[in-house]
Amino acid sequence: MELMRVENVTKTFGTTQAVKDISFSIGEGRCVALLGPNGAGKTTTIRMLTGLLKPTSGQIRFAGANEADAFRASIGYLPQTPPLYGWMNGLEFLVHCGRASGMTAKAATTAAKELLVRVGLEQAGKRRVGGYSGGMKQRLGLAQALIHKPRLIVLDEPVSALDPVGRREVLELLRELKRETTVLFSTHVLPDAEELCDDVIIVAAGKVAVQGALPDIRREHQQPVLELQTDGSALAMSWVDRWLAAQAGKSYVVEGTRTADGFRLVVSDVPAAQRDLLQALAEADIAVRRMEFGHTSLEDLFMKAVASQ
Amino acid sequence: MTGPDKMAGSALAADRPASKLTSPLVRWWVLYRKEMLESLRSFKLLWMPLVFILIGAMQPVMLHMLPDLLASAGSLPESVLHEIPRPQAFEVLAQTLGQYDTMGALITALAFMAVVSGERASGTAALMLTKPISAAAFITSKWAGLLTITMLSFSAGYAAAWYYTYVLFGAVGAGKFLGSLLLYGLWLVFIGTCTLLFGSLLKSGAAAAFAALGTAAVLSIVSSLYTEQLAWSPGRLPSYASALLTGGDPGSAAAGAAAFTVVCLIAACAGAVAALRTKPSVD
Repeated sequence: MELMRVENVTKTFGTTQAVKDISFSIGEGRCVALLGPNGAGKTTTIRMLTGLLKPTSGQIRFAGANEADAFRASIGYLPQTPPLYGWMNGLEFLVHCGRASGMTAKAATTAAKELLVRVGLEQAGKRRVGGYSGGMKQRLGLAQALIHKPRLIVLDEPVSALDPVGRREVLELLRELKRETTVLFSTHVLPDAEELCDDVIIVAAGKVAVQGALPDIRREHQQPVLELQTDGSALAMSWVDRWLAAQAGKSYVVEGTRTADGFRLVVSDVPAAQRDLLQALAEADIAVRRMEFGHTSLEDLFMKAVASQ
Repeated sequence: MTGPDKMAGSALAADRPASKLTSPLVRWWVLYRKEMLESLRSFKLLWMPLVFILIGAMQPVMLHMLPDLLASAGSLPESVLHEIPRPQAFEVLAQTLGQYDTMGALITALAFMAVVSGERASGTAALMLTKPISAAAFITSKWAGLLTITMLSFSAGYAAAWYYTYVLFGAVGAGKFLGSLLLYGLWLVFIGTCTLLFGSLLKSGAAAAFAALGTAAVLSIVSSLYTEQLAWSPGRLPSYASALLTGGDPGSAAAGAAAFTVVCLIAACAGAVAALRTKPSVD
């Protein structure tokens, strides 16, 4: 079931178009990653999804909530740096956010206490938020986005600013969360998206470059890759150069790049490449350190999508 | 809470009816209470009344002790000292209001300079606006906090002045006291509201305080130059307050100025709401 649909949304600031005619939809229960390099328009898109910014043109629809208050009560939002009231303690902050989201005092208090335990802050709940570490602030920010049990949680770069320990903690929380509700988060860290998400939307220069379910994207865009690493000697490297120069005659090579001590080929026909290459290596008597057949990763796709914009 | 399968969890969340939201009034009250709690925790609710009381109590005491002070300084001949007229009670109170002209305005602007701009800079304003909180509720709850704290502080200070004037110089009628309190309090609230408006428009709190103080200064200077044409200007409120004390009857002009100031307050709040809606965060 579709929870949110974004149709031809454009956002212009002055003369710059931050987001150009993007369309996508978020299915209920899915975990969606909004991927893109810095400045691609991720934050602008997210602010439009949360209703903070009005699109210059286009529409954003949310299933079952047409009224502004009902819509706002259905989403939970965590901005890039968690904005907190430093003078409150953790429990007070959560209760305040819950009540501002339309919960009764009793319901907010119960939910806040549960959430503090869940995000590992039960000891810190009575301490002033101003003294929290970065990771603790992020976890409290996450709890704040969850307290009113929203149908959609929108997180802007939830792990980018954290150290490895804090990052791990937040990722584990997200893994639990995505079982309960719909999650959309933006990131420029590809492994995080690959690890957690069902769907991926890659944006570059304000446009959607690639979108779809992660397995589908892998199937459609994945290509076999052959990586060769020689001993790096002058003899071997001159052979590498000659071989690459002659690649025009080798129909199975889609794309060849020279690396520091060998090359990396995107190929269309693995058996043909294997046969041809092994033979050539044996004939030229090249010392091989490593030879590997693999697949293009999401990162390759990402780089390609970003470069083509 | 962790559901084993995805659909069960999301169905639970989806089943929650939107009608379970508390009423907008309750949510507004939550925001107002947060403002008051913040003022308490930051000691604003303590220091602001104290400073106002200090200013208010000091003037009558100073005036009472003036001949003694001058005598102990010894720089004036005794004959002159005896000729220093002892001020009337209402004059003392009017002079106290004069003390608030600079200090009171400064304190009010400084106390509320971060109220909106701080939350815009830290991002909490934007966060609250993604919740079922309207920009109007956000601004008016802050304005109500401002009104409460300013009137509380000024009333405490002015009452202290009234008391010491009564003890040292004699009584001033309660009607005069209350009338001037309301007129002058309205002026301070006007300065605070300007700070709120500029806090929603400008990036820094200091700039907001500066702009509000500038507006207040320009208004009172211009209104004192063109008293006839600008009889309803908020900048005339302090003069009407002292006129009320010293026996002049500002009458309809004061009422007009008060009414027009209220219109200005509403317009300033509306402006702040519009500014916050278009730019909820500083970046």
